[in-house]
Formats: sequence, C-alpha cells, structure tokens
Amino acid sequence: MAKPKVAFYWAASCGGCEITVTELGMKLVEVGDLVDIVLWPCLMDFKYSDVEAMADKEIDVCFFNGAIRTSENEHLAKMLRAKSKTMVAFGACSHMGGIPGLANNYDKESIFERVYDTSPSLDNSAGTRPGISTKMPEGEIVLPSFYEQVKTLDQTVEVDYYLPGCPPVAEQVGAVLGVILEGKLPEPGAVIGVGKKTNCDECERTKRSNGHVRIKAFKRPHEILADPEVCFLEQGLICAGPATRAGCGLPCIQGNMPCRGCYGPPEGVEDQGAKMLGAIAAVIDAKTTEDVERVMDTIVDPLGTYYRFNLPDSILSELKYGNGNGKQ
Amino acid sequence: MSHTKVKTNSFADQVRLIPGGEHLDVCFACGTCVSKCMIQQKAEPEYNPRRLIRQVMMGREEAAFTNPTTWMCSGCDLCFPACPQEIHISEVIGAVKHLAIEAGYSSPLETVSVDEGLCAGCGICGMACPYEAPELIIKEINGSMDRVAEVDSNKCLGCGTCVSACLTGAISRPGVSNSEMKERILVAEADNGQPNLMTFVCDWCLRASADVELLESYPENVHVIHIPCSGRIDPEIALLALRSGIDGVLICGCQPGECHYQRGTLVSACKITLLNLMLGRMDMAGGRVRFVQIGTRDRGRIKKEIDGMLELLSPQPEVH
Ligand code: SF4
Ligand code: SF4
Repeated sequence: MAKPKVAFYWAASCGGCEITVTELGMKLVEVGDLVDIVLWPCLMDFKYSDVEAMADKEIDVCFFNGAIRTSENEHLAKMLRAKSKTMVAFGACSHMGGIPGLANNYDKESIFERVYDTSPSLDNSAGTRPGISTKMPEGEIVLPSFYEQVKTLDQTVEVDYYLPGCPPVAEQVGAVLGVILEGKLPEPGAVIGVGKKTNCDECERTKRSNGHVRIKAFKRPHEILADPEVCFLEQGLICAGPATRAGCGLPCIQGNMPCRGCYGPPEGVEDQGAKMLGAIAAVIDAKTTEDVERVMDTIVDPLGTYYRFNLPDSILSELKYGNGNGKQ
Repeated sequence: MSHTKVKTNSFADQVRLIPGGEHLDVCFACGTCVSKCMIQQKAEPEYNPRRLIRQVMMGREEAAFTNPTTWMCSGCDLCFPACPQEIHISEVIGAVKHLAIEAGYSSPLETVSVDEGLCAGCGICGMACPYEAPELIIKEINGSMDRVAEVDSNKCLGCGTCVSACLTGAISRPGVSNSEMKERILVAEADNGQPNLMTFVCDWCLRASADVELLESYPENVHVIHIPCSGRIDPEIALLALRSGIDGVLICGCQPGECHYQRGTLVSACKITLLNLMLGRMDMAGGRVRFVQIGTRDRGRIKKEIDGMLELLSPQPEVH
C-alpha cells in the first residue's frame, strides 16, 4: 500500500504549531517512515507549484495551522482543500482565529497606521505602505492583500477535523497521528485530540469552603504570588479553565499560570468569550452597585481576556462583519 | 425534682433557639410584611408569613412545615423596611425551615439538578448561587473519584443564576435549561419592517399588574421572555438573540437591594456592562443590549424602557 500523503501548512500563525510537531522527537522519524510528506514549508523545501501540480484529493491529510488574514492565506487554504481528502484545522489560529484574531477589534486602516506610521520603533518618514502591486524596472511585483478581518479556517474552506491548542500539545498530536494512521478518525466535524469535560475536571488544585468563595477583586498573574495548591479563580486570578475543553494536560496550570483558554470551549458552547464572561461575573462578591463597579474595574481588558483565542470564531465577530463570517 | 424527661421546648421555643428565630416574640402579627411580599402577589396566594408565625405560636408544627411560606421565602427582605418592629421576618421563616428540614420535610419547589456525567467540578455554580446551594463533593463516578457539584435542593430556590454561569451545561432546571432558552429565542420570528426587540423580564421586578398586562399588549415585534431572575441571562444568550436577527435586547431585573434572589441583579449588571464594553470595542455600541433595574416604586417604567428601546432601534438597527 502506498504511504499516506501528508501536508503541513502555516497561514497567519506564529510558528509554534510547527514546533509542536518537531517536539514529537524520535516519533517524528517513525512518522516520516510511515507517511509521505508532500508539503511542509517550515522544515522542507517544496514549491507551491509542486502542490499545484497535484491532482484533486491526492493529499490524504492536510494539517493547516494559522488563521486567514491575507489573500495568500486564503489562496493556499482553498488550494490545499481541493488537493486534500481530509482537512484538519491544526491549532487555535485555524480552529478559532487564535491570537492573530484579536486584531478583529481593530480595522485594517488602524492596524496599518500603527504598524507603518506610529510604531515607536519605526522610521517611515517616506510614509511607505505595502501596495498590492508595484511596478519596478524589472516588472510588476505583487504582495498578498491584507483583509479587513481575520477568519478561521472553517470560515474559508470546509474543515473535517479540529485539533485545538496554542499550540496543540505534542502528545495529542502524536495520538491523532496514530488515529489517522490506523484509519480510526471519528465522524467529520469532530474536535480531536481533546478530553471530555473542561480543564477543571483534571485540575488538582483545591477549592476552599466547598467552592463558596466569592471574589472581591481580580488580580493579574504578575501582581501576586499564586498559591500553587489552590484554585486560581478563588485567588482572584481569572482562569479560563472552567471555559476550556480539557486535553492539554494542564501545562500552564502546573506552571502556576492560570489557563488562557487556547483549547477552545467545551461542547455546547457557541461563544467561549461570552460564556466565560457570564461565569466570571457570577462569582463576584457584591452587595451593591458600587461593589459591582469596584470588582469590575479590576478586570483589565475583558475582550482580550475572554476572547483571547476565539474572537474570529465568536458571535461578536459575526455581528461585526455580517454574514461573511459564516462557516463553510 | 422529676426524673422523667419533660419536653420543655414548645415548637415556638425551638424556633426561638435558632439564630434569627428569636425575633418571633417581637412580632405583633400586624401583617405589614404580607402586604409587601411579592411572593403572595405573584406566585402563591397562600403565602403568608403572619399565618406561619401564628402556626408557630400555636405549636402547629405539621402545618408550619407544610406551609408554602416556609419554603418560598427568598430572603429578599423587601418586607424588612416596612416592619414597624424592625424584624427580619425572613430570618424567622428561615428558622422554621431549618426545623422542617431537620424533621425530614423537603422543599416542594422546582430546583436545579446536576448531570454528573457533564459536571467538571469547577465550582462556579456554588460561587454564583445566592444561597450556596451547590456544593463541591468528591464521589465515585464510573469507577474513579471525581469532584462534582451537588445541590442541596432545600436551599435552592430555582433562580437559575447557576444555570447561566455553568459552562458545561451540567446544572439545569426545567424551564430555564440552555436548550429551552435557545429554543425560546429562536422561535421569535423577526417581524419585517419593525425593529425587533427581545425583552427578558424577571418574574419579580414588575410590581404593578398593569405593567405585567402591558407586556401582552405589544405587537409581535416585541418578544417577551419571562425568566425567574435576571441572573439567568448570560451574555451568550443576548448575542444569540442578536445573531438570530433580533435588533435589540432589553433585560429587566430588580433594583439592587430588592432583587428577589438577592444577587441576581448585581451579577447581571456586571455581565451586561462588560458585554456592552466588548460590543463597543468591536464598534457595535449604541445600546443594543440594555439591562435595567426596576424598583418597586417604578410603576410604568417598563413601558418607558420598551418604548425607548424601540425608538432607538427605529428605523434602522445601529449595526452594519
Ligand atoms: S458550574 Fe457546572 S460544571 Fe461547574 S461545578 Fe457547577 S455544575 Fe459542575
Ligand atoms: S437555581 Fe439559584 S438558588 Fe438554585 S442552586 Fe442555582 S443559583 Fe442557587
């Protein structure tokens, strides 16, 4: 039997998802023996034209990390979709938009203004802005265009499976590769490489007073020395654990840092940020409106906190950008 | 000196011994509390703290333990400022309830239950609940020890604040479960041409019956959804409503200090303020989601709020 053909691709992402694959170490060598890697710009030398030359559905599995921010991201997503039997949204950015997706609370112009005009580390007195097409003596050169909004992979092409995480943890990647090689993938549409409930289910930290502590003031991780044994939320640290699907094995929490939510919402939640906001608001210790205001004032950057990894996937983005945000 | 153990404690004495029950003697049964109570007006005509106190004084345990008053008082304390004797009647009722539970009686109210297969043991519900009804316990589930929530159904009054806060959908109450709430939102057909307003009204904030009746008189583009407490609203529900084509969401709860379930209105104030802040960050300000806290004296205010929202939303929704 021919070895399955596998492609890895990165769009708007940091590269961490690629690193997590290399974290598989010697296992990766085994995987390399079992599959035929046909595209992996981060590690190997392929040209887009090699992929373009392939027949439709010739690639068995494509692991696509990164959000869709530019026309190039979109072009590659569409091309790889056409060439692949199975498309896996790999990592938080392609799954939900991820950190690059936070840019959805700015418009394109204000992003350009910051990056090309007002950034303090920049001298762009000529006011140069990237142009999509520039005429040079040698001919026309073209850059991808920068879109008004960040989209998830499934708002761009049809996605078969979601492997969450920023980045997905290596053990889960290994497990998923195993499942694929055995041909035991679940029904399309499933989130794979994850646990059943939320992170709190796996968290060993203690809850005081049987879980009846309420919060007078929220704090940020750098402001206190967190007790490594006690629930972060009870210490006033906003932890996304209750709003986040288990599966990562809790590396952040074991490192004494609250969960940031990268594995996305549990089953049944359509807007992770809104649900998490609802849960965090419900634990405040308040008897009067003034108390509410006092506690609320201690929540720094609610949008960035609740929607850290999922803004493009949220109903907020859907409302802002209209129907263009619907899943494929 | 008698050698037989004489039962010295009358029922009233037993009530007096429970903290809060000592107020019993100060009450002169004027009934002012009854006239202030929203439960009697809105939910249970049989609800009557004065009658309960009489039953206690007369030693009618059985009657007191099965009296709905014993179980329905939410401790909102609306009656307290009106009481000429300055008694926290809710504490006396609480003392009777304490004895009733000890005697093996249990709450007749519709309360929440936990699906242990879904519960992650995060404890958010117990932190959210005004009465600390959910508690985290460690128990064996499918062969392994797991931390899950367990609800003391004698403490739960069914406000639904925990249901909105729970992220796994494990804790629920018939009538206000996530799926039922979503269903109620989605059946609301958008009415063309008119601004569509979805109004969530807590069961307690409208004191005047004229205000309650008024809600029925609006045309179809004003969709009214009754909820036990504004604390049941979660920001996702408001967003789902907007996504389904609703132009604006108005949530009505009680004024702080008058909330039937003590803290639901405060929790919701926090939720909706932050939601609006985030909508603003996404360039969607303009009051499309509004939370109002209606006081017991705010007769007629609901009309002003609904009409105000309709005006704001006409002729075009703010967004796009
Ligand atoms: S909030 Fe939900 S998941 Fe968390 S402990 Fe309560 S019932 Fe369980
Ligand atoms: S429904 Fe209300 S009273 Fe009952 S457990 Fe939940 S928060 Fe507490």
